[in-house]
This record gives sequence, C-alpha cells and structure tokens, in this order.
Amino acid sequence: MKLNEELWLVVVIAAVWAVLAAVYALVPSLGMPGYVRVWGGGAVLFLMLAGVLVAVGRKAPRG
Amino acid sequence: MDSISTSVAPVGSRSRLTARVAALPGTDKALLTLLFGAALLALVLGLFGGFVTALARAGALTFFPDDAYRLLTLHGVSVFFYWLYLIQAALLLVLAAAENGRGLALRPLAWLGAALMLAGFGVSEWISATGTPLLYDGSPELAADDPRSVGVFALGYLLLSAGLTASALSGIATVLQPRLRGEASEFTSIGFALFAWAGFLVVSAIAATNAFLPGLLWALGTGPFPADHGTEWHILFHNLHYLPLMATVLVWYVLSEHLTGVTSIHGARLSKIVFAAYLVFVPPTSLYHMFLEPNLSESVRVVGSLLSLFVSVPTLAAFAIIASSLEASARARGATGFFGWMRGLPWRNPAMANMGWAVVNMMLGITFAFVLIQEKLAPMLSDTFFVPGYFHFFAVGVLTQTFLAALMVILPALGGGSLWRPELLRRMPAIVTIGLLIFGAAGITAGVMGVPRRAFDVSYGGMAPAAWPVLMALVGVGATVFAIALSVSVYGVVRTLLSLRPSLQQAPVVDWRTGSRGVGAAPAWTGPLSVAALVAAMYVFTIVAFQLIQSLPIIAIGGGHGH
Amino acid sequence: MSERHVTTRRGFIAALGFSAVSLYGAWAAYGAAPLPFGGRKDASPKADAHGSHDGHGTAEIPAETGGHGAAAGMAPEEFRFEHDFFVQKYAQKDGSVNPHADADAHGGDAHGGHGHADAGHGHGAEMASVEPVDVYLMAQKFAYSPDVLRLKAGVPYRFRMMADDITHGASIQLGAASRIIRLRPNVVTEQTITFTKPGEHLVYCTVYCGQAHDAMHGRIVVG
Repeated sequence: MKLNEELWLVVVIAAVWAVLAAVYALVPSLGMPGYVRVWGGGAVLFLMLAGVLVAVGRKAPRG
Repeated sequence: MDSISTSVAPVGSRSRLTARVAALPGTDKALLTLLFGAALLALVLGLFGGFVTALARAGALTFFPDDAYRLLTLHGVSVFFYWLYLIQAALLLVLAAAENGRGLALRPLAWLGAALMLAGFGVSEWISATGTPLLYDGSPELAADDPRSVGVFALGYLLLSAGLTASALSGIATVLQPRLRGEASEFTSIGFALFAWAGFLVVSAIAATNAFLPGLLWALGTGPFPADHGTEWHILFHNLHYLPLMATVLVWYVLSEHLTGVTSIHGARLSKIVFAAYLVFVPPTSLYHMFLEPNLSESVRVVGSLLSLFVSVPTLAAFAIIASSLEASARARGATGFFGWMRGLPWRNPAMANMGWAVVNMMLGITFAFVLIQEKLAPMLSDTFFVPGYFHFFAVGVLTQTFLAALMVILPALGGGSLWRPELLRRMPAIVTIGLLIFGAAGITAGVMGVPRRAFDVSYGGMAPAAWPVLMALVGVGATVFAIALSVSVYGVVRTLLSLRPSLQQAPVVDWRTGSRGVGAAPAWTGPLSVAALVAAMYVFTIVAFQLIQSLPIIAIGGGHGH
Repeated sequence: MSERHVTTRRGFIAALGFSAVSLYGAWAAYGAAPLPFGGRKDASPKADAHGSHDGHGTAEIPAETGGHGAAAGMAPEEFRFEHDFFVQKYAQKDGSVNPHADADAHGGDAHGGHGHADAGHGHGAEMASVEPVDVYLMAQKFAYSPDVLRLKAGVPYRFRMMADDITHGASIQLGAASRIIRLRPNVVTEQTITFTKPGEHLVYCTVYCGQAHDAMHGRIVVG
C-alpha cells in the first residue's frame, strides 16, 4: 500500500489527538476527563478515516 | 497596475464550481436550499437578538432581567450554534457534491441529518424563548430547580449534534466517490480539506454530546447533576471557535478560484498540510479558555499559554498561500506597484468585497485574540466586554461575511436565479467593518476597564466609572451600523435564494490563470508585510496590556494571577 | 522552483504561518513566559516599582502557592465556618467588616489577631516578608459577604474566596482596569492581595448567575 500524503496526514492527526487524550488520562492532576473522551474519540474517528482511505485505495478500480 | 491584462470572464460563463452546483440533482438542490434557508433564518434570529441586546446594553432599551437574558440566549444559540453549524453543514454538502460532480452520496443520511438539525433548531429556539435563560452555554447550575429547561435545552444541541454527524458522514462519502469510481487516485486540496473538516465536525458533535448529554440525563432523572459542565463546555467552545475558521479558509480557497481562476501556486500538498494543521494545532491550544479557573495549576497555565501561541499557524499559513498565489498570478500578468495588483481583483463582485473585508477583520480579530491568550492578562480581560468586543470581528467580520460571500456565488447557481442588486451588496462589507471598528474599539476599551460581558445594567448603584455608559453607548452605535449593513447583505442573499429569474448580468470575475511571465518570479510582498503588520500590532497591544496591568494599584499573588 | 522569488517559495510561506509565535518575545520580556534553560526573567520594572513586596512581580509566583488558585487543604465547610467567624468578629456598626478593628481599638496591628485562620495552612511564608491578614469573601446569589470590606493600603491580605451556591465572579474595579477572580461553588480560591493606594473599589459579579446578576456588587474601601 502506498502511504500517500493524505493518509499520513490523517494518521498524524489521530496520533496527536491520541497523545493528548493519553496525557489527560494519565495525569490525574489535570482533572479533565472530558478531554480524554473528546480527543480520544476524535483519535479513534480519524484512525477509522485512515482505514477508510486505505480501503478506498484498495477498492478503487485501476487505470 | 494599469498594465495588468485582466481577462474578464465572458457574460453568462460559469466557473467550475457554479457549473457543477447548477448540474446537481434536483433532490440535492432541494436539500441544500432547505439547509441554506434554515441557516439564514438562524442568522436573522441571531442578528435580531444581538442588535436588541446591544441596544439594551447601550441603555437605549430596557427589559426585565429574564427577558433581557432570554434575548442574549436567543442571540448566542441562534448565531453560534444554528447559523454557524447549519451553514457549515450546508457548505460541506454543496462543496462535496460539487467536488464529486454527481451529487451527494448517502443521500438519505444527508436528509436525516437535515431533519435532526432542524428539529434541534426548533427545540433550542423554543426553550430559549420560553425557559429559564441559560445563555448559549446552557449551564445547568442556572436552572437547578428547573430540570425541564436544562433537559430541553440539552436535547436541542444533542439533536443538532446527531444531525451534524449524519451530514458529515454523507459529506465524507461524497468526496470519496471520485476515488471509488477510479476517476482520481487522491483528493484535490479542497477534497482533502472537506474530508478533514467533516471529521472535525463529527468531533465537535462528540464534544457537544460530552457536554450536554449529562444535562439531559439529569433532567430525565437518570443521571447525577452535571457539576462539571463548565469544563466540558470549554472543550466544545474551543471547537466552536476553530471549526468555522477552518471552513472560512476553505471557502476563501474556493472563492479565490471562482473569482480569479487562481489556485495555489504552492501545490496541493502544502494546502493539505495546512488544512491538516487545523486539526493538529486546535486541540492542544484549548487551555486558554480556562485561565480563570481556580483549579488550574500554574504550570498548566504557562504551558497552555505557550501552546496557544500556535493557534494561528494554519490560518496565517493559509492566508499567506492565498495572498501569494493571487499576487504572483497578478504579477505574472503584468501587475505592478506594491499593493496595486489588488486593484485588479473583481471588487465589484459582492463575494469579492465580502471576502476581502473578511481578511481585514481577521487581522483585527487575531491581534486582540493574542492579547487574551496570555494567562497573566486573562484576570484583567476574561469575562469582560473585551471578549465580545474582539470576537465580533471574527463572528461577524470574518465568518459571517465569508459565508455570505459563498452564498452569493452558490445560490444563483443552485436556484437558477440571480444575485440581488450586486452594486448595493458590494458596498456593505466596508460599512459592516466600520460598524465593527466602532463596536470593537469601544467594547475592547470597556472590557479593559472592567465592564462585564453579560450584564445589562452596569451602573452598580452609581458606583461604576463614568466612562462605562459612554463606551457602551458607542458599542450600541457600532452594533447599529454593522447590524443595518449586515441586514442588507442578508436580505440580498435571501432574495437571491428566492429568486427564480435568471439574469444575463453575472457578478464580475477575472481570469488570472495563465500569465505571460513565470508565476512567482516577481516578489510578492503583500502577504509577508500584512503578517508583519499583524505581529507588530500584537506586540503593541500586548505591551499596552502588560503596562496597564502593572500600573494598577494592586499586587496579587496566587490563582496563577501573578500581578 | 529555483527561479522563484523568496517571497513566493513554499518554505517562506510555511514559515509565515508561525509568525505569531514570535509574540513569545513580548511575553518573556514581561516575565510572563518561561525563558529557555529554565526560569523566567526577573520581574518587570513596573512590578519592581511597587517596591516593598518581594516576590510580587509576575516573574516570581511561588511554585508552591501558584500551583493552585484553589486553597489546597481548606474544605468548603471549614471556609464557611471561618467566614462566619470573620464576619461576626470584625463587623462594624455601619455593616462593613474591618479585619483591623481589634488592632485599631487596641492601638496595635491586626497580625496574629486571628491566628485561628492560619492553623494548618502553610501558605504565605514565601509570599512576603509581612504575614498577610486573612480576609474571607463569600459570593452567593446575589450578594457578597461581607459586602463592604475596610482594608489598609500597603498591607498584604490573604483573600480566601468561595461561591456558596453557583459559579460567580469577583471583579475588583481599579480605575483604568479591573482584576477578575472566578469563583466556583465549593472551591476555595486564595490570592494574596495588597492594595498599594487608598481608594474605594467596586466589586461585582462577572459570571451570569441569574435574574439579579446585574445587582450583585460590593465594595472594598482602602484607607
């Protein structure tokens, strides 16, 4: 599979959001669990969108 | 500049965008017309609520407190939620459908989305007008003895969120269609922006659900009282800021191509990176909304402030791409003079005028936004009229004018009618900006002096400084000026929406696609100089604010408020 | 690409996006942002001009106290008890509250006159050379308690503040500008405040709290 720029941009977005969610989850003194839900949910969504891009790239007719 | 060889598009010719919109299937056109109409209705309601609020704050009108705060609630709910989200959903769908070239995918889902959003609109407006006034953030603690108001208010936003999600999924499926058909192996820069923006809309819906579902559950007696609403609201609020800004920049891309034929001279990859940057930079920069929270640690405040310095990166980069692409294309066609190339833009087209003045408003808004994001200055400015004073440059000057510009281009193609009185409409953005300058200058000054943002009578038994009512009267004058001019623009757009008679007289556009000289060979200083002026203004106002806060007859320590 | 002018090159355009980050320079100059390699710039000249209160500049927020605006360790119930005691003890005939009332009556100063409030709270030693005087301010629909405070210029006060019912704000109007403290229900917020000049300051709510929000105000009279 060719890792084109669109795919890696979406993966980077998911990664940044996942790191942010992890920070809020793992540092209890921040005391904002809502950030974990929203940015964590966003990370999962953009990972799914990355999966969609991969699937579309495979399914699309060649030529 | 007189030497620029500006091709004016032939009468009756259509751009790629308008041709594709005109060719959409009838059912898609009906859905889009419905959404654009609902968005405009929300704008009218919000504009009315805001205008009356401004007059009341200026002392020109008097209301019972509950009525006054209901009007403020109506204003915020209508503009910040329903105008901005409905127009975003509609623009996402129409641009995605145009990108696809064959209409919407997952059409039933798009219709379901529209139905849910309109149901939310009705519910929210009704409870805003009749329930306990909760302002647009719907804080449950304001109605702890009125669960019905809390629950119904939350239900409105939850319906909107569900509708947004459905619309966004239809939008995502639509922009993927050309690839599924094998007609494209990758997105255009606009296609990628639509894909990312749709994803961000879904995340905004998640944030809204996170903030408002607990209120609904509590009202239904199935959950605890949502004591953390303030924090959860901030997450949504941050999304609420930057999502429409991303949409605005996307619309600037689309309109630049429509009005001049120019696409980015820097390639699609850089544009895609910039659009992705919105999603990368927005989440980590959200802490500045919470600088007054007593539980936020000093170290988090400092980190939050530093991160917020990055919040304008995608917007300024996108501005630089568009400005340099336009200038370089104009110079390739022989434009001369430092800023003279700008005279070649089709300013007689109301869409161009709205977009151009939106850029001016963006520079003003960013300048003052960067004063507010400094945690040491927040104790002087947050919760004061400084906030509405500066954000109306964004909400009205940038977002609303940009989206109206898009409607001025899209609606004639969608409905087959013609733009209502372009000669009149093109003059409105300058008047809106004059009104905003009066409103902003007086409002920002009032805020710095301590005028609270959500209070109608700020006399405090005669103890308030004498300058406060004078400044708020000026706020009312500014609001009156921009509300009248904006109303003319909105009226023109509504007339255009309802217009069925095509006109041979098209709003003018130019064609700068091919230049005789190499594009980019000549210097393009407009972007860099504008950004330099912006940074200089940020420095000036930040330094003024620091000097002011240090001159106050008080020394305070703790709560992260160092002085 | 090589024939392009620098202003139309991609790298230049991308760098322009980061221009606003340069505002860090202004922040650092005012001690409002950490400097590279640790620490912050010393307090700005204006902060120094306030003179005698070491550590009161923006640059020198003590890490221990700056960690939380909320007063770590003070429970809402304890706050309510101390607030009631404070109001009762220092109430004046005109309805105002003056924490120096005892000392004024006995010709001394107020410090130590209310040591009960300090028990168990180790704040303040690093804040100033003078031990701050404790002051309690409760916000509730639609008033402050006490609604009139009589204080002295040049004396540091440890303001302990809390909202009793829902979220409120307390903005102290200081002439050219104001200073805002947000008060969450049952969260004790603490700030050490020194008024540098005599004057009368309006205190008002900045967070919409209901029908009579506009009427919610008090006064601080600095003599």
